[in-house]
Amino acid sequence: MAFLDDTLEVTSRQHGKVTVIDIKGDVTTFADAKISEAYTTATEAGAQQLVLNFHHSNYINSAGIAILIRIVTSCGRNGQKLAMSGLNEHFQKIFRMVGLSQYADIYETEEQAVAALSS
Amino acid sequence: MRRFWSPKRTQPAEQPIELRLPSTLGYEKVAMDTVATVAARMGFRPDQIAGLRTAVSEAVTNAIEHGNSGIRNAEVHVVITVAGNALTVRVRDQHYRRFNRGYGYDRPDLERALQGEDVGMGMWLIRQFVDEVEWTGVPGQGNEVRMVLRCQ
Repeated sequence: MAFLDDTLEVTSRQHGKVTVIDIKGDVTTFADAKISEAYTTATEAGAQQLVLNFHHSNYINSAGIAILIRIVTSCGRNGQKLAMSGLNEHFQKIFRMVGLSQYADIYETEEQAVAALSS
Repeated sequence: MRRFWSPKRTQPAEQPIELRLPSTLGYEKVAMDTVATVAARMGFRPDQIAGLRTAVSEAVTNAIEHGNSGIRNAEVHVVITVAGNALTVRVRDQHYRRFNRGYGYDRPDLERALQGEDVGMGMWLIRQFVDEVEWTGVPGQGNEVRMVLRCQ
């Protein structure tokens, strides 16, 4: 791993029945293991509503989008509701362009995403 | 003192900026940051710069992961040129591989991507954020992607 790779932190916490997965760092090919592990752990714990929170992430590339597509697929297969929050304008635009927003609602803030999934 | 390019004046082309990057994922950020710095000085809008960062990221990552795959001590060569209101970025790898020319024109088929297929997402993203893009390749030398974005 090159020294230019940021340390990626992926942590999970509960907001009522909603599991929020915080992603801090670059969402590139290196993020695969940590994001997949966080999702699997949440799913095994019975999570039915999930928020992927990108508030501290400023770099997402096509490899990162591919990881998110896999998460979206798994959520659909497992009957889970998925939302995304904290994306800056550029990545909100990309997610809409790519079509990811058809599979997961995108919210400006984590609070909005949690409220939507809780209702 | 030497003046940098001003968007309000037509000036001769600046000397190209050249980067030789190790062919290792992560170094694409050096190219992204350098291009973004030049674009900001040229007066590009923040949304254009964000798009340019994505295009450069995809081009350099493609060179690292595909063009230079399997080559020891490979490099990615990035050349940034300013001419008038146009910013040109050329990204070259060291191994010629024939590109799938069908990639990158249509929006990626997410249904196929959801099945795990390679749908050419990176090339499509590049097309969305630059005014011109061209892929060329010379057998025995390598592939090059040339991207141009103009400051309006």
